[in-house]
Amino acid sequence: MTTPSTIGGLRQKLSFTNISAIYILIAVLVVFSLWIPNRFLQIGVWRSLLDAESLTSLVALSALIPLVCGALNLAIGTQVGFAAILSAVFLANAKLPIAIQFPLVIIIGAAIGLIIGLLITRVRIDPIIATLGMSSVLLAGMSWVSNSHQILFATDQPDFTKIATTPIFGITIPVFILIAVALVTWFVMERTPVGRRMYAAGYNPESARLAGVNVARLQIGSLVAGGAIAGLAGLLLTSRLNAGDPTVGPSFLLPALTAVFLGSTQFKGGRFNVWGTIISLYVLAVGIKGLQLAGMPSWVNDLFYGLALLFAVGLSRWERSGKRLGAVRRVTTFRSKSKGD
Amino acid sequence: MSTLLRIDSVVKTFPGLTALDKVSLSVDSGEILAVIGHNGSGKSTLVKILAGVYLKDAGQVTLSSSAEHGEEVTEMHFIHQDLALIPELTALENLYLAKGTLAPNDVAAERARARELIGRFGNVFNVDIPVKRLSPGQRAIVAIARALDGWEHPRNVIVLDEPTESLHKSEVDALFQAVRQLAADGAGVIFISHRLDEVLELADRVAVLRDGVKVADEPTASLDHGRLVELITGSSETERAVAERTVSAGAPMLAVTGLRGGGIEHLDLTLRAGEIVGIAGVLGSGREALPTLLFGATPSLADAFELVGRPYDHRFPEESIRRGMAYVPADRVRLGSVREFTARENMTLPELRSLRTRTGSINAAQEREEASRLIDEFQVRPPRREQRFGAFSGGNQQKIMFAKWLRNKPSVLLLEEPTQGVDIGAKAAIYEAVEAAAAAGAAVLVCSSDAKELLRLCQRVIVLRDGVQAEELSGESLTEHHLVLSGYGLKDMEGTA
Repeated sequence: MTTPSTIGGLRQKLSFTNISAIYILIAVLVVFSLWIPNRFLQIGVWRSLLDAESLTSLVALSALIPLVCGALNLAIGTQVGFAAILSAVFLANAKLPIAIQFPLVIIIGAAIGLIIGLLITRVRIDPIIATLGMSSVLLAGMSWVSNSHQILFATDQPDFTKIATTPIFGITIPVFILIAVALVTWFVMERTPVGRRMYAAGYNPESARLAGVNVARLQIGSLVAGGAIAGLAGLLLTSRLNAGDPTVGPSFLLPALTAVFLGSTQFKGGRFNVWGTIISLYVLAVGIKGLQLAGMPSWVNDLFYGLALLFAVGLSRWERSGKRLGAVRRVTTFRSKSKGD
Repeated sequence: MSTLLRIDSVVKTFPGLTALDKVSLSVDSGEILAVIGHNGSGKSTLVKILAGVYLKDAGQVTLSSSAEHGEEVTEMHFIHQDLALIPELTALENLYLAKGTLAPNDVAAERARARELIGRFGNVFNVDIPVKRLSPGQRAIVAIARALDGWEHPRNVIVLDEPTESLHKSEVDALFQAVRQLAADGAGVIFISHRLDEVLELADRVAVLRDGVKVADEPTASLDHGRLVELITGSSETERAVAERTVSAGAPMLAVTGLRGGGIEHLDLTLRAGEIVGIAGVLGSGREALPTLLFGATPSLADAFELVGRPYDHRFPEESIRRGMAYVPADRVRLGSVREFTARENMTLPELRSLRTRTGSINAAQEREEASRLIDEFQVRPPRREQRFGAFSGGNQQKIMFAKWLRNKPSVLLLEEPTQGVDIGAKAAIYEAVEAAAAAGAAVLVCSSDAKELLRLCQRVIVLRDGVQAEELSGESLTEHHLVLSGYGLKDMEGTA
């Protein structure tokens, strides 16, 4: 590599279109630091933000992995919720020790991913429909298991709650878990043959198949991995809340998907990727936190994520639709010309 | 008779290729004009210019509205090969798809009108069942009826673009009856086809395109099969495009007996190391189905299937690649590539195993180095390893696809329309690459609709017709003339011995 292209490459890497999230993060930080310095610039605020969003980030990763292979998972929120309820039920009702409960929930999470994967690849149900249907089934399962009530386990397993709340060097364990999961996911997706094939399968399944990629197996595998991570997130959620709460899980869906789509506009020029996803999620969270601290009502949360999702997907479609316009124009000319009206 | 459509000196160029070079045509009211020519002769470009899909570079296309018909405006209607019907809707719904807005349909009136339109072409059939349950011939009539509906007068131009591809003989007869009826009523018909016997049967006049130039425009009465083939190919029958090649074919790389599935009824095939074998045949002959069957991308049955000396019964792409097969499909965009991937990522996708490091990751330096070497070797322009595949031109996309598949030194190389839509420079590079692969010991199968290409590359050519082998041509008998005649299922009238 020659020097000019390195400088050019660096400029491109630092350009707004490539890392807009980081520029937005800086802008958000500056605005809120000036606006509400007393409330915004508190170490406690940042610690709780880091901790709270680590779970959402895990959920986002569990949605990201199958999405790379072309399977949009709308059940991810209820998968987390179901795992969270099971975590509590296993402790409170079944009286299982943590050493059994913990892996069991992760295995069940993976099994749910397997079922979704089989529905998509073997029964050939469209991923959106398959996961929407599964989502409803899991929702019913949650209500059935929990009777639509919180499940408390503190009297049976007081230690379980420590998993998500014990700080190490001031940072809670879920953050370390997130970093570990993100590193592994990043390595597999961007550094290994399996990851390369996953992207190929997501972009063009037919052509990937002809290049020897087993698309179905990758989709199943990615949904199993995503399901296991969702199970892990559910465990940590219950541990943090000190109870199994049937209402919390489903609300993860929107922030997670928003982060995944927004993340695809970062770093990799339109490719879904791990670091883009996590950074986007924290940028959104910082913005929302700032607005809440500034006294905005709680519905800004939904508004913010909704708008960001539309913005992110719109942004990624922008370039392609620009090219399509030319073709559309030509076809319309032909119509009016040949039909003579 | 008045002229309805006049095409004057139309020119269309693509980068590195003149698709149409000052082509002039006209069609009169009541006339059926056939436009014929090889793949790449420019006939599809011409249709696309008429339809407004392409813009012409120079020349005039005029639809006349002559004084003798008053203020009448001539319209142009297209019936494309796929008919553009929606299979799940009924004939009636298809007919009135684009008509009306929110006002409820007057179904009774529509039905009566539909029956009247269809009745012009023979027996009226049920217009209330989904189009997919009609016969192909009936579907063609629905498409024509739709084009006809709303004509204020019969003197319009109708362009039929290879409409008989999917039709049986009896249905072709019904369609021709309908077309003759249209012409008799005063329409001007342009009939695009590559079936010579149909052209001779139907058309009043035949225009022949070759390499973008109109080489003949004559009344059908003065033409016969032999003359048409001569005009299409531009060569007389005994001419052999390339001098005889001396090839010592090696061991059988692929040996199949009783292959069936897809469009193939029954086929025995042996490919030997070092030889380049052609597959010819018109659309629907099984030519397009063969490579995907051999590659295992579509399920097939066989009495015996041996690949590099080993039986290979459970066939699927992943395993085929592992065993040394490579398949370069005709459809670069949909089947051959990942547009969002870079050239490098596309080239290494089928075989990443050899790039793995001990930790299981892809050795990035080695991958880059290998991609650069391939880009060099296959003369990809611009030589940008990290450019998105979709941003390359057609010819260079094709070169990348060849680089991708030849990288693993396949023992069996299956090619489908290897130079479709590429410019002359890329064509030469691709031919070189194919020949180099064969010289290195690969058995190559070239499925192509381009007779010149088969002559250029192959030692022998198997002609398929209706899913079975019709003929095998090699040596003296492998001429363009013979190839074209055989593909169309015509007797060779000139009689090569």
